[in-house]
Amino acid sequence: MATQVVDHSALKVNQTGIIVTVLVAFFGSWAFYRPLLVLIPLLAVVLLLGTFAPQLALFKQFYFKVLKPLGIVKPRQVQDRPEPHNFAQGLGGVFLAISSALLLLPVDARTAVVTVSLGLAIALLVAVLAFVNLAFGYCLGCQIYFQLGKRGVIRAS
Amino acid sequence: MSSQLLALAVVGIVVLAAACLELFRSRRTRVKTLGTIAAPASDPYILYFTGDGCTVCHTHQEPALAKLGAVRIDKVDAIADRTLADRFNVYTLPTTVVMTPEGRALHVNYGYATAPKLERQLAEARSGAMQAATA
Repeated sequence: MATQVVDHSALKVNQTGIIVTVLVAFFGSWAFYRPLLVLIPLLAVVLLLGTFAPQLALFKQFYFKVLKPLGIVKPRQVQDRPEPHNFAQGLGGVFLAISSALLLLPVDARTAVVTVSLGLAIALLVAVLAFVNLAFGYCLGCQIYFQLGKRGVIRAS
Repeated sequence: MSSQLLALAVVGIVVLAAACLELFRSRRTRVKTLGTIAAPASDPYILYFTGDGCTVCHTHQEPALAKLGAVRIDKVDAIADRTLADRFNVYTLPTTVVMTPEGRALHVNYGYATAPKLERQLAEARSGAMQAATA
């Protein structure tokens, strides 16, 4: 299981992007403009696309194409494996997709309070976990990847 | 009540519950594993549980261990050596176990442990060994 070099600055930019997008969607829709909630399904698409096609990972590409060349964010190369991070990103994307489904579900007004609240809560939890990873270096998705690999559920290559 | 307030309440409860659960599990496993016997050595040493999928191990824990200087560190692949990992209830990586020279687990750190924290624990293990030697 050979390690590769992973630029951790790209991961940090990705996590920052997730946090900012969810917070803008959450507080923006609350205080200013409700359609800002559409940012959550968009973020789900961005994360899921980025998991399967790294060249489509919006925040990482923003780092590689803009922030890094301009010297705004310094690269931090670490001997690491990209798979756990991709898995964590994919997991975040899946949860945001569930959140989006709950937010966009056509239900009556009374049920909508529950589904929208649940959808927002899931999106906020994704942001909280991204923040924990950004601030403390604890990656829950990576731990799940490790545990699933340990139990043979996935082939942790 | 607005959906946003309800969502904030749900997230607050989940985060609080997760923190309490983590604290409880950490304390319980610490109590269970303290005193676990392993091979004796001349000085305190550290069992360092890691794995290939552990990013924090590479980015944080290994630099912290490198700062400790001449301390014996037994690196254990938690996936390959499941028996030893299960013995210390390793459920997260990295996990570091500070062992006394007699081979007794003195401190178990689940998650990243800083160099100063490990140094304090090693000093405690050393002073315990000295007390035992002079007694």
